[in-house]
Amino acid sequence: MDQTLTRWILPLIQVVLLVLLGPLVTGLIQKMKARLQCRRGAGILQPYRDLLKLLRKGTVQSDTSGSFFRVVPVLVLGATCAAATLVPVFFAPVTAGHAALLPLGDALLLAGWFALARFLTAIAALDAGGAFGGMGASREMTVATLVEPALILVIFSVAIVAGTTDLRVIAGHPVGMRGSFGAADLLALFAMLILLLAETGRIPVDNPDTHLELTMLHEGMLLEHSGPGFGCLVLAHHIKQIVLIAFVQALFFPWKAANTNPQALVMGLGAFILGTLALSVFLAIVESTYAKLRFFNLPQFLSISLLSSFLAVALRLL
Amino acid sequence: MSLELATHLIDIIGAFLLITMIIILEAGDLYRAIYTMAVQSIFIALAGAVLGAATHNTDLWVIAGLTLVVKVLVLPWLLLRVIHRMRIHHKIDPLIPVTTTLAIAAAIVMLAFYLSSSLVLLKQVITGNALPIGIALMLIGILVMMSRRTALMQMVGLFAAENGIFFTAMAISQGMPLIIEIGVTLDVILAALVMGVIILRVKSSIGSDIADLDELKG
Repeated sequence: MDQTLTRWILPLIQVVLLVLLGPLVTGLIQKMKARLQCRRGAGILQPYRDLLKLLRKGTVQSDTSGSFFRVVPVLVLGATCAAATLVPVFFAPVTAGHAALLPLGDALLLAGWFALARFLTAIAALDAGGAFGGMGASREMTVATLVEPALILVIFSVAIVAGTTDLRVIAGHPVGMRGSFGAADLLALFAMLILLLAETGRIPVDNPDTHLELTMLHEGMLLEHSGPGFGCLVLAHHIKQIVLIAFVQALFFPWKAANTNPQALVMGLGAFILGTLALSVFLAIVESTYAKLRFFNLPQFLSISLLSSFLAVALRLL
Repeated sequence: MSLELATHLIDIIGAFLLITMIIILEAGDLYRAIYTMAVQSIFIALAGAVLGAATHNTDLWVIAGLTLVVKVLVLPWLLLRVIHRMRIHHKIDPLIPVTTTLAIAAAIVMLAFYLSSSLVLLKQVITGNALPIGIALMLIGILVMMSRRTALMQMVGLFAAENGIFFTAMAISQGMPLIIEIGVTLDVILAALVMGVIILRVKSSIGSDIADLDELKG
């Protein structure tokens, strides 16, 4: 019984939690952003209403696109949900060196799932034949080439200490085991916060609210989608955001429940909620205080994160 | 405060110093560079205070306070005043692309760690990464001075390099003697004043930045 609980039920609860809470985090960030800009803003449940509305609508498809175009939203959602299974949320037990959860993959595979979802989105945008879709795809891929190496370096900088790239083991380490929060952790966290802005499509990199065609990256690729398919892509974006937020916490603030003791589980869940709130506040404040960067200045901005993640790895090794 | 805790805190302050240095290096705008330089000096003052608490050396507290007043308040105010007086555009035009500069900075940090590992014989008060980070900050400050055309940005680079020297000095001794530190601080203020006056004079007499002077050859 205990085996089933730790191996199947709790990991599944974590995935379902991430999928269900994804839109809530977006709504929360939008609400905080509105408050910071002295607006009332929509309720924090608005993303759920948008999703329901989209799921009820019909689908319109461009004449040039093939049948693959219709499959892509589901595949993207699937890839993002698969990424969600890899991140521990509140429960990360370690027994004798290896984690006792679903052995599905490690942090590098997480980057891989995101890359797959991004590739599929870009391919669909090109397939539809719209000019904005093509431009959005090209820009998204340019950003991806800068973001992914830095993400891998951040993962390595933590993995060198933990001795594994398995996120469940990394997050399962008690803080004392990894040593205290040092200089390399700080540099990696700084790099990861910039990556968080880039990967969630937030303001210095992309503007999530805009439909001004010339400035958008992610939205540009979704223009040709409609109805339930568009809903799937929007939901995938919400999930990607909360998965990344959980990922930051798993790497740098591993306060997870180590056993099925109810008290430990509640503590782990509380730590996760607090961490998610803190990172949401960070995203909302950055979004309200910064202007969007020109696209050609983005490599310069993102290379900060590349450099500091590189330095984090260097500090670990030297 | 125990020496282990101080070492840990200095380690974290070192990371913050590196981060601020990266932001100075990346800054495309003079204001951002100057404010980041001020923030970096706050961390230098913090490092002085931590070391002072750990070694019970009251001179270090005085030095930390001096840094706070001079480098966090006076120097940025002076630089901002020069900007207002000159009414210049505050975009920085680098000699080499910023991304290249960042790559060079990565190489410099590696070099600093390599160099400091050959200095093991040097007795360090604060063990850990303080010495290599101090050397790296100093060299990156010089890199900022070399790779920017704007005279004000070169001044920011000089002060950042000075922060690096201060951090290095803290790493290998228990801070320099108070009289030397006061002398250095006065030198920095004097240098800033002289440079500010020269920049303004050059601007008012030939109407251009220092960087354009090398076009005057006969």
